[in-house]
Amino acid sequence: MPLIIKDEYPTKLFREDGKRLDGRDKHELRPIKMKVGVIHNADGSAYLEWGNNKVYAAVYGPREVHPHHLAKPDRGILRVFYRMATFSVFDRKRPAPGRREKEISMIITDCLEPVLFLELYPGTAFEVFIDVMDADGGTRCASTTVAALALADAGIPMRSLVTSVAIGRIDGELVTDLSGIEDKAGGADLPCAITWFNEEISLLQFDGDMSLDEINQCLLLAKDAMAKIYQIQLETLKNKYITIQQETTGGGQ
Amino acid sequence: MESEELDEEPEDNDEFEDEETTRDLVVPGEVLSEDIANFLPGRGTILNKEKSKIIALNIGLKQIKKNYINVIPLRGFYTPRPGDKIIALVIDKSPVKYICDINAKDVGILKPRNTSKRSKLRVGRGSSHQQEEASTEKYEIGDILIVKVLSADRLNRPELTTVGKYLGKRSNGIVISIDPPKIPRVIGRNGSMIKILKNLANCNVFVTQNGRIWLKGDDIAHERLLIDAIRKIEREAHTVGLTDRMSLFIENEKKERGIA
Repeated sequence: MPLIIKDEYPTKLFREDGKRLDGRDKHELRPIKMKVGVIHNADGSAYLEWGNNKVYAAVYGPREVHPHHLAKPDRGILRVFYRMATFSVFDRKRPAPGRREKEISMIITDCLEPVLFLELYPGTAFEVFIDVMDADGGTRCASTTVAALALADAGIPMRSLVTSVAIGRIDGELVTDLSGIEDKAGGADLPCAITWFNEEISLLQFDGDMSLDEINQCLLLAKDAMAKIYQIQLETLKNKYITIQQETTGGGQ
Repeated sequence: MESEELDEEPEDNDEFEDEETTRDLVVPGEVLSEDIANFLPGRGTILNKEKSKIIALNIGLKQIKKNYINVIPLRGFYTPRPGDKIIALVIDKSPVKYICDINAKDVGILKPRNTSKRSKLRVGRGSSHQQEEASTEKYEIGDILIVKVLSADRLNRPELTTVGKYLGKRSNGIVISIDPPKIPRVIGRNGSMIKILKNLANCNVFVTQNGRIWLKGDDIAHERLLIDAIRKIEREAHTVGLTDRMSLFIENEKKERGIA
């Protein structure tokens, strides 16, 4: 007999004092920590802790495409492999890639493609491996953010970085950066990503119901939140080199 | 045993050491300049769609050269160009060609006719046994070769040759590989860094464009010291005053390790 534990969600997602269950304000992000160059054998890599999410990304390429029939003669391809570890969620996740993982791999591919110059590398592939070690809502946003960082760390020419965040509605109010429980119990969520070179939306998904007005508000909120995350991304990329610069000059730059 | 003095590419690899090179780190998408009238986008940069800003494509150092804005990359991959001297590893061979790993997106092709000088004398018309047959007997799988790129483009596999000065098989020494964009720094301006490395570590060094470095010293202690030095250069490639620091480093390490 499989053990079935019924998912129970709290009826109210705001505390008495008006804050969210994890103590955040309505438009406060979860604490974010990033690191680049964490995987030695990869061409580029990055690690991201976003609240309880822990995500690794490794980039390889340009390199030959296997299986060979996927190669395009006129341009390179970007392949993203989003995988969740078996221990990343409450119930053991079966290790075989499922429908959800294939979908997320695809949307991240489509999201990152516009920033790369794939037409310069015909017949080759850039491969991004994203491994979610710990999941707590918003892993597709976290994965997109960390994948862009890993691509930049690999030295692959890019038009800009990509940042992603989810906006949603819980208990009738719009909030930024949904956690796992808010995602499941809340009314709606809208993950979106931005490419900074033209400030266009590169990923937009939607779950639940919202008025048109609310969606417009969501996008504005998302841009504010993404600008904050973008700053962390920039700092992370630069810090790898700045720390070495400071070491050699004896502290002060 | 080869005892020839190996030279590096006589290219001007002074981009890292240029006075105009700022130590400004830039990341992809960063706006380098909005002054379109006075500056042009150079290497590692593009104009945005509205042609109003110059933006960086790579993580690297910003450099202003005349009216060009360049980005000197700190990470990246090797793209073969005709004329490059590179270190190749034979990974496969068939009767008509060798397949070589050249640390690029494609493998390199070395055809037997490019492995030996073609004799100008045609010995006896019709006497076919005199003619050199195309065969891949010369090198074995796993051999380290110094080769030159004959042709390379985006679409086709690069073709290699081992005919030329310094080219051919290396049967001794050590090959290490570093990030290809940092090769100019190992050579230094007009070869200043490589001279220091050669003289102080008492080693023979051949630096190639695909990020591989062949080195051979009198004893293993010197070779180890040189490898450590090259690793240090790779790590600190984006800092100022590296050449002076490296000679200091090698002197100190020599004393510490007790080698002459």
